[in-house]
Amino acid sequence: MTRIACIYVPLFPLAARLRSEPDLLQEALAIVDGNGSGAHVVAATRRARTKGIHPGMSLAQARAIVPKLIARGRDPECERTAQEALFEVAETFSPRIEDAGDGVVYVDVTGMRRHFEKPAEVANDDETSIATLTCAERALGSAVIDAAAKIGLPVRTGIAASKLAARVAAELPKSPVVVEAGKESEFLAPLPLARLTPQLDASATLTRWGIASIGELAKLPESEVASRLGEIGRELHHAARGIDPRPLIPRTIPPDFREGMDLEWPLVALEPFLFIANAALDRLAKRMEIQGFACRRLELTLNLEPDGFHARGIDLPAPTRDVKTMLTLLRLDLEKNPPGAPVVGFTLVAHPDRPRRAQLSLFGPAALSPEKLATTIARLISMLGDGRVGMAVAVDGHLPERYDISDYAPPPPPDRRPEVRKSRGLLAVRVFRPPVSVEVMTREANGELQIESVRGEGDLSGNVRVSSGPWRIESGWWSDAPAAREYWDIELERGGIYRLYQAVDPAEWFVDARYD
Amino acid sequence: MEVTPQPRPAPAEPPRPSLVPRLPEPALSEELRRLRTLLPAHLASSVTSGTELVRALEKGRRDGFIPTTLEGVDTLLAGGLPRGSLVELVSRRASGRFSIVLSALSAASSLGEAVALIDLGDHFDPQLAEANGVDLRRLLWVRPRNAKQAVMSAEMLAATGFQLVVVEMGLHPVRGRRAPDAAWVRLARTAESHGTSMLVSSPYPLTGTASEAVVKGCGTRAQWLGGGRSPRLLAGLTMELALEKHRHQKAGRHASVIVTASDAQSLFRKQNPRAAG
Repeated sequence: MTRIACIYVPLFPLAARLRSEPDLLQEALAIVDGNGSGAHVVAATRRARTKGIHPGMSLAQARAIVPKLIARGRDPECERTAQEALFEVAETFSPRIEDAGDGVVYVDVTGMRRHFEKPAEVANDDETSIATLTCAERALGSAVIDAAAKIGLPVRTGIAASKLAARVAAELPKSPVVVEAGKESEFLAPLPLARLTPQLDASATLTRWGIASIGELAKLPESEVASRLGEIGRELHHAARGIDPRPLIPRTIPPDFREGMDLEWPLVALEPFLFIANAALDRLAKRMEIQGFACRRLELTLNLEPDGFHARGIDLPAPTRDVKTMLTLLRLDLEKNPPGAPVVGFTLVAHPDRPRRAQLSLFGPAALSPEKLATTIARLISMLGDGRVGMAVAVDGHLPERYDISDYAPPPPPDRRPEVRKSRGLLAVRVFRPPVSVEVMTREANGELQIESVRGEGDLSGNVRVSSGPWRIESGWWSDAPAAREYWDIELERGGIYRLYQAVDPAEWFVDARYD
Repeated sequence: MEVTPQPRPAPAEPPRPSLVPRLPEPALSEELRRLRTLLPAHLASSVTSGTELVRALEKGRRDGFIPTTLEGVDTLLAGGLPRGSLVELVSRRASGRFSIVLSALSAASSLGEAVALIDLGDHFDPQLAEANGVDLRRLLWVRPRNAKQAVMSAEMLAATGFQLVVVEMGLHPVRGRRAPDAAWVRLARTAESHGTSMLVSSPYPLTGTASEAVVKGCGTRAQWLGGGRSPRLLAGLTMELALEKHRHQKAGRHASVIVTASDAQSLFRKQNPRAAG
């Protein structure tokens, strides 16, 4: 027997807005649709409703009742992200979910109730069995409500055998509501006809007939209703009898996570924007955590005033859900590439990836936690900049200053602690990047060129005690940037052994390393 | 590698005072205690619980040393770089500091440990490090721009679980302003709480009271091959080191270490059989 749960967000435009701006929950707030004199209220907070504001009222009428009413326009971006967040909550319970739009999601929960049965609730007979199943489904509905509350969405749930009954059950104020299988018509019968959300024309006609409840409509002959109201009447009559042949159509899983909002006024400074972006990133991180994902790439699209947009993409060094890291990277990127116009809206898109996992060893050297390492590297890159953190790579070539840096991904440590390998005890060099320009005095002794003294900055000055060289290096003579150098090792009388070279063209001297 | 004779043997190591308060260890389970009383003594001593095993392994990881494999340095530090402590290596005029750093990185990476080099002066040469035995895959190379970034990076890396973090402060003068003393104390605490060996290599003393030990380079003697009309070749260095401070060892001891230039290594070995390698 198919069981469908309907997750319903009452006053969805308001709930989506409050998810982005939770501080407004206690205020007299109205969500309005339309512009100018055509603006009308579509939803209002409890405080506004108690003062007489209700949907359908024009904004002018509402302001006349509550002069300090806060009015916010409907924000499609907020509503879209709230809907996506709702999907993600639903997906934690079942992979088969259907998007019904505007804060409504259907979830296939067939067979799931056994996960919510308590061990004591072992059914002995049919009656107890049904009571147990209902109880388990109610626990499932409560779990859905709790999960949605964690991401800032107040939801109601209804569970039934058809989408229609589940939807009607979810719209009832006391949630969760469970409709037993085969009892849909009994459940619907006492409810007012408005719960079926009939077409306006048909609704007026039915009211003229004196039909007030769903049960009264169900008692009418189907053919008579169909002959008077047409196809709509037939569908309505089927719905009133609890017949809903529509199957659940599962949605395809989107490849990314989005958060964003339209701003009430344009932002020109970075700090206020980062304040809002922080909250959006926090929501993204929570959504990814629910799915077991981490962010591998973050894309930001800024809507600019009066038109146009500014898009940026940030590749994270490793998948992470650390909000502070992502925010710092965002800040650095925007400081480097400012949008150039006031910002009136933004969208953040997180491309997910699986966080790195590893089995830590008990007897070998302590391994690094992949997730912790990823976060640390991302923080270091955000602090130091690109190309300043990573794994050093030895590069083939002849010029001594060559190097490369790549992503740091250490191999797992050995299972057993190996014996320490003795270092070769090589004399190290400190490479100077870039090489330091110096003046060099040379002399000829015994037919050989020798370096007499060096004059440069700081410690790089003095008479030379021993000089050794030259060694000639020619590299890249076939390329556009050939290098021809003559290298020398020198020891200064005041201390310090340096490696210096004379570039052939132009004939300048540089110190490129110190033996240390 | 060459070590000068030591004047006196190192005194026995007293218990190390901890900067981080240790939690009281839970008592043995009643079942294990009963089992041990029932078993013969030789068997009881070899019966261990999983908790004890994990605790012993963890203790081994925290209390050991990471050897530099340069005998002079390891002798001065009574075994190598102590885990959970900060050791400072100071030398301005004398050379050899960076060679000790590379040797420590080489030894630690050969043990399979994750190591990090915070290279303030941007002096690291990957080719030479690889030739010296550093496993570059296990080495994280961080290139900060000033001293403050270097100390912050070191703290982050120690907290992440790197077993050896080398803070190489470059040549005199150190880039950026000096980090405050409190930053070094905090770094030492982080190293202690995560069991990280922290080696700070600097041209002049920076860490103050935070360091467990300070090794100072006192002098360098360059070894040149050839002379007269024959061409000269840099063969290596002899470094004179002194233990300037140690919390648990007597300071003032000296040692010398020889490192060889890679080009001249084979030639130098023939002339100086005591050289490292």
